Amino acid sequence: MSAPVPAVGDVVPPLERTISLPSMIAYAGATWDWYRLHYDPAVVAAAGLPGPVVDGQVFGALLVEMVQDWLGPECFVRELSFSFRNLVFADETVRCSGTVSAVGEGEVTLDLRVDVVEPDGSTGRAAAAPATARVLLGTADGPGAA
Amino acid sequence: MSLLTDDIRALVGQTRTYTAPEPFGAASGRYFGLAIGDDNPLYSDPEFARAHGLAGVTAPPTLICETNQYAGLPMDADGYAGHVWEIEAPGTRKVRGGNRYVFHRRLRPEDVVTATWSISGIEEKTNRAGQDMLVINSRAVYTDQDGGLIAENDETIILVAVGGAA
Repeated sequence: MSAPVPAVGDVVPPLERTISLPSMIAYAGATWDWYRLHYDPAVVAAAGLPGPVVDGQVFGALLVEMVQDWLGPECFVRELSFSFRNLVFADETVRCSGTVSAVGEGEVTLDLRVDVVEPDGSTGRAAAAPATARVLLGTADGPGAA
Repeated sequence: MSLLTDDIRALVGQTRTYTAPEPFGAASGRYFGLAIGDDNPLYSDPEFARAHGLAGVTAPPTLICETNQYAGLPMDADGYAGHVWEIEAPGTRKVRGGNRYVFHRRLRPEDVVTATWSISGIEEKTNRAGQDMLVINSRAVYTDQDGGLIAENDETIILVAVGGAA
């Protein structure tokens, strides 16, 4: 499948992911971040929270995944920024979404966001928004690889 | 009383440097991909990666910005074993503001990463609810064993005064 040629207004195919407690524990291991709030029921209960808190940096990783899944292996996420809005808890589902806001020579800029998906499928609270990415097209690596 | 004490103000411009004791390795990226559910073969299949212009497998881009893996710091009572700024601001709670990453190139398994953190600015503000807060902007620069730039990470942490409006 060839990579799409983005145009302003194009919608990025969304990425939905249910963030299970085992995947959060795996993420804690992969990032060497064993902060108890991400998995320990006693700490979570003491903090008065409804469940273990998803590490916010997961949203950045998921946004990159969505962008690369869409644009293919020969793209390079040059910049990615996001602001946190609300905590997300274990076993909640998030939806990453985005649109093309600008197209330049060999690059594209995307407006992105991450929202919680309610059990009925509706969009719930924002997890990360606004978010933006600038992505280089036609290359799997960045300018620093030269 | 101002949250922005002289001790906190003095942190601006300070740096902390952490260098990994070994090359990054291919397994770290593959593991991170599994953990987040990203099955992109760029992280696991060297032939696929080479077919698309890379020298071999890489890691999901944001993984380089997880400094704990280089820090070698002891785990605290909360299970955290990573870089922190020792900011004493009693009566506040910490809120993560956001991140801005700039990636210069893909991570390679042979990279020995150094993370250099600095505090680029601390501002005292009042939020819409009337609560005093400190907005702390810090920056990490990730380089390889030759000093080559791989990524940058600007991070905002907010300390919000607890216990009522100012």
